[in-house]
Amino acid sequence: MGRTGHTTWGDSDFHSSNIMKSLPNCVFVVDDDQSMRDALRNLLRSVGLEARLFATAQEFLDGFRTGLDGLADVPGCLILDVRLPGLGGLDLQRELTDAGIHIPVIFITAHGDIPMSVRAMKAGAMEFLTKPFRDQDLLDAIQVSLAKDRDRRQKEIHLVELRRRLQMLTTRERELLPLIVSGRTNKEVAVELGTSEVTVKVHRGNLMRKMQAASFADLLRMTSDLQIPYTKV
Amino acid sequence: MAPTVFRRHGVSRRSKLAVSSGHMRILQHLYFRYGIALVFVGIALGLSLVSHQSMPESFLFFFLAAVMLAGWFGRTGAGLFAVTVSMIMVGYYFIPPYRALAVELDELPYFFSFLSSALVTSWLGSARRNAEEKQRAHLDELFEQSPEAIMLIDRQDRILRINKEFTRIFGFTLDQAEHLRSVDLITPANLKSEAAVSRKRLSEGQILSLETIRMRKDGSYLDVSEVSFPVVADGKNIAYYVIFRDITESRRAREELHTAQSELAHLTRITTMGELASSIAHEINQPIGAIATNGNAAVRWLGQQPPNVEGAEEALECIVRDANRAADVIGRIRALLRKNTTPMSNLDVNEVIREVLVLTSFETSRRDAAVTAELADGLPSVLGDRVQLQQVILNLIMNGLESMSTIVDRPRHLRIQSVKTAGGICIQVRDSGKGWDMRHFTSVFDPFFTTKKEGIGMGLTISRSIIEAHGGRLWAEQDTPHGAILTFTLPTS
Repeated sequence: MGRTGHTTWGDSDFHSSNIMKSLPNCVFVVDDDQSMRDALRNLLRSVGLEARLFATAQEFLDGFRTGLDGLADVPGCLILDVRLPGLGGLDLQRELTDAGIHIPVIFITAHGDIPMSVRAMKAGAMEFLTKPFRDQDLLDAIQVSLAKDRDRRQKEIHLVELRRRLQMLTTRERELLPLIVSGRTNKEVAVELGTSEVTVKVHRGNLMRKMQAASFADLLRMTSDLQIPYTKV
Repeated sequence: MAPTVFRRHGVSRRSKLAVSSGHMRILQHLYFRYGIALVFVGIALGLSLVSHQSMPESFLFFFLAAVMLAGWFGRTGAGLFAVTVSMIMVGYYFIPPYRALAVELDELPYFFSFLSSALVTSWLGSARRNAEEKQRAHLDELFEQSPEAIMLIDRQDRILRINKEFTRIFGFTLDQAEHLRSVDLITPANLKSEAAVSRKRLSEGQILSLETIRMRKDGSYLDVSEVSFPVVADGKNIAYYVIFRDITESRRAREELHTAQSELAHLTRITTMGELASSIAHEINQPIGAIATNGNAAVRWLGQQPPNVEGAEEALECIVRDANRAADVIGRIRALLRKNTTPMSNLDVNEVIREVLVLTSFETSRRDAAVTAELADGLPSVLGDRVQLQQVILNLIMNGLESMSTIVDRPRHLRIQSVKTAGGICIQVRDSGKGWDMRHFTSVFDPFFTTKKEGIGMGLTISRSIIEAHGGRLWAEQDTPHGAILTFTLPTS
């Protein structure tokens, strides 16, 4: 999981800074066992994390679809028991993926059998913990998951903005974009589009302004984020 | 008891008389019989001679009485002998010509009618006696040869008679036991007061039947079943019969069977618990995991500046609750694995069912099955062995889960119901599984019958014997459109 690369939530770290309090976030817990739910709530609250508890996968799914009082829109992660009555943990994970909900999932299970954890990890689980787990392992996984979710959400916002800018381009400018970012000179572009070099220069200036690109390198990064393919020479 | 002993002591008085004295005795017997016939005829002659003057015909009665008595005491031979002697005496003394052994022609009819009456009288006496003797011999033989030990005692508890089997199982011969109080002879010291109570009830005319302990001649004890009843004549108890049967062996066999059954029950419990092992591990692991997590939470609350005591308290309360839960689970499992049976107590069957459902809850979810419990309120309590009844319910649930394991086209649903019935409680477990294979339906309760790969085939057998030991019934039915039903009843305490 490459956990070593991240700052761990050591005790001192948590008590002094309490990053989580400053930024809104939420940890969802789905476990059919009352004791386990209560214990997780206590642990999460002791490190300043807000927890929402659910006894069944269906309860969570229904809640999430209706927005959970806005909690679905803040960075979050899901602690999910594998064995659940009715809809199981792995089933819920698949349902979420199918519904386009990208919340990071941390599995906890009493019977961590290998095939199950392989399935979970393949389906994009952040971590697979066997009960009884070390609390630090869980908290680390939560931190990584929240950071990832926040990152994903920021990227999403960024992409939305880029797409909005892309929408402002004219047809000619949009034709121009893949040619420019594939490294062609204005002259080559002009030949390819059957127009003059001056016209290309004007279009290029408008394009840079509309995309709010400070430099050619900046524009290159944007098209990469937008996954606009190069046009091969 | 060695057979030689009973041969030496066990012979009755009657047969001893005949066997031990041989020919001499028979000869004496013969002299006695004919002698007594002569004595009776002599007395009749004397009385007739004395009364002949006043009542000339009285000799008839005296001689007929003599003949009858001779027939009674001396049987047929002596009776006929008495008739012959009487005829001579009558002919000589009382029928003309007197004092001569001749009979006048006129007197012949008279003489012959007397002869025929004498013959009939003699025959009556001896036949009556023979019949009585025969009946008595039958009864004696029955008494002696009975496979039960029989003791006849008088109203003061003194022994009048005992039979061969009594001698065999207690070691006393009649000579040793006769006229002794039975309570002194065969009742152990600690049971004397109990025996006195029984005798009192017996004297009130009751028939008693009980299982108790009696003592042999050598002081050793034996288990007996004892039946006693009074012999009533003219509305009074004249004696009591006490019949014993030695049940030491059958009791031991019964106890051994009981032990074997409880060992087998224990074994199947262990097997079932083995099948449940992963579920049980989960059931214990769950609260332990929660305890560890709560402990960490508490440490973190207390490590804050300032320490958050409230948060720590909340976590610690959860720890206490979860520790108790884990202890409960372990306690239940230990109870089920205990070898000894628990004492019978008044049980709430619904509670017993719920306890088992806790143990099997994970197993059902592991097998993707749903369990519905429909337990009636206000059920009367039943007298039972908690562990054994849990075992039955556990067996039935595991059986249902197992039979649904191959079902994929419909929900795996197990229903357990408890209802009140007339005189008891009825518990039913039905599953949505493949149901009973009708080819083997009659053998589902047979020992070692199983359709499971790992099963030992004792689950239902043991369950049925447990329920029957509780005075209930357990049976199997086919559900429609699919599934199996197992139902058992328990009488209320």
